[in-house]
Amino acid sequence: MLAKVGIERLDELLKGGIPLKSNVLVYAPPFIGKEIILKRFALAGLYENDRIIFVLTDKSFFDLREEMLRLDEKYEEYENKGMIKYIDVYSPSVDLKEKSKWVVFIDSPINRERIASSIIQAQKEDTKNRYRIVFDSLSTLIVYSDAKAVFRFLQVLSGICKRMGSTSMFSMTRGMHEEIEVQTIKHLMDGVIEMREEGARFQIRVQGCGEVISRHWIDYILEENEIRLTGAFRMGRVA
Amino acid sequence: MIQTGIPKLDEYIKGIPEGKSLLFYIEPGVEESNIGIHVLHHNLERGLYGIYISSETSPRNIERIFDEFNWNFKKYDKLVIIDGYSPLIGAPAYGKYVVEEPHDIESYVDLMFQIFEEIDGKGIIVFDSLSNIMDLCGEREALEGIERINKKMRKFASVYNFIAWPYKESILYKIKRIFDAIVEIKIVENDITLQRMEIKKLGWEGKKEGKLLFKIFKPEGIRIYIPKICVIGNLNSGKTTFIKAISKKFISAERLGTTVGIEHGIVDYKGYRAEIFGMPEEERFSMLAEKFGSSSKGIFLVIDSTKPEEFESAKKMVEKFKNIPIVIVANKQDLEGALKKEGIKQRLKLDAEIVETVAKEGKGVFEAFEKLVGKILEGKC
Repeated sequence: MLAKVGIERLDELLKGGIPLKSNVLVYAPPFIGKEIILKRFALAGLYENDRIIFVLTDKSFFDLREEMLRLDEKYEEYENKGMIKYIDVYSPSVDLKEKSKWVVFIDSPINRERIASSIIQAQKEDTKNRYRIVFDSLSTLIVYSDAKAVFRFLQVLSGICKRMGSTSMFSMTRGMHEEIEVQTIKHLMDGVIEMREEGARFQIRVQGCGEVISRHWIDYILEENEIRLTGAFRMGRVA
Repeated sequence: MIQTGIPKLDEYIKGIPEGKSLLFYIEPGVEESNIGIHVLHHNLERGLYGIYISSETSPRNIERIFDEFNWNFKKYDKLVIIDGYSPLIGAPAYGKYVVEEPHDIESYVDLMFQIFEEIDGKGIIVFDSLSNIMDLCGEREALEGIERINKKMRKFASVYNFIAWPYKESILYKIKRIFDAIVEIKIVENDITLQRMEIKKLGWEGKKEGKLLFKIFKPEGIRIYIPKICVIGNLNSGKTTFIKAISKKFISAERLGTTVGIEHGIVDYKGYRAEIFGMPEEERFSMLAEKFGSSSKGIFLVIDSTKPEEFESAKKMVEKFKNIPIVIVANKQDLEGALKKEGIKQRLKLDAEIVETVAKEGKGVFEAFEKLVGKILEGKC
């Protein structure tokens, strides 16, 4: 069973999507499209009637909602059906006042215990449906404490989420962390979608994530709200 | 003696002696992990000092938490907040006591020693949280620093929130060794909001083991929680009146003077919160009552003390519930001919405590409640 990422050729590369109940890290430098993958993954979940839990450490739920509406104008309908929950760890720290019944506010990225318990509790509110957890980003958590502490947090959280049948996608920013920190976090993941900028080209590759067509770097084009894989990856042909 | 303010736990452990430390060893994922703040508030209310070390949340957030429980933050002149958070995120410092180097345990130790010199009084110190201080300062270094603070605190007692992330066994062993008392807090499966507290270690006189189910309600605070108590009895024995008399909230299922469905009451009394369910006596509900009753934590059997001829059928109602604590509510004691405890005991021949009540006047009802709760807590939860 697979969970579509919602980007056509990326799903093709993944032979249909990422395995259900897996944890996948999207690891990329800033501004080359990792948020698009996260948002598309959330939308693809909604189209399949999955519930979405956003954990936001770098932007408010309000800003994310605006961005999601730009991707799909029906987004609000899903929200009104109670299919989307936000755990907003950003707004309280910058004193933003927007409220919503779908949001749990947490005042600090250091408060990992509260983040974990809010994610678990959100999943327990509706046990009939599958959940997708979109966590943006782990980098903030690591910056405020350290990778070992975040590792322990993820170890507990991912175990519980897997037991509860949820599929999770985490983001982490390349260039912000020591290599050992990156390896520590990758160690806990079932797969990594990695992105890089090579001169004027953007490239993506998949590590782990079950069976995939190619594990080589594939070129992609970054558009406003889209990622289009342009590199070939069929039958041994690589970009 | 310094208290935790947690009902029943204080009775078990007899409070926290001065100079002693208590660790709340909390399973990750527990909904409301900040038990420490309740301990803090309880001691402030008693006029003692309350020192709160905030390392993972803004001290301003403590004000917000106080607000959620309708506690007036500004009223406590013996509340001391130590800000170990603002320097971490580069925010403006809060108040007089700031941990300049939150990544260095010595910074905490120096500040605590300074406070011990400045404050001449008794009270509680709440570290929120030990796990976060360990993550920031290094696990072993942090624990060594904490040991030094604990040795120096004299008139104070300390309480630590510790989230039991998967640390190395050797670290967990050290933690279990250096604190005088350990109370473990876990989620109860199938109900994330319900939590279980269990005494794992007690280094002073008191009950060395004990389990309590609890829940945190806003704004009421911590309550020892009993999720299901059933009330059964014959027609017109006064079940509904009894439930109404002990409940602060009540949902009726009465039609034309008779109970035709499950009634629900919420009891909030002396730190206990219980959900009470009244079972209809009609035959068509007997299957339901049996199923519901067998999963309950305790049972009230309400009898009309003036009708000994009904005792036999009442007895039959509870005989099917094995190993569930029962209290007999000997109701209608105000009526002529009402049998007293001894008379009922002889006729009923049930191994259960009897409490005389006049439910319509509220007489004896809370005595019955306390008796049943006591029996429930003696058993396993």
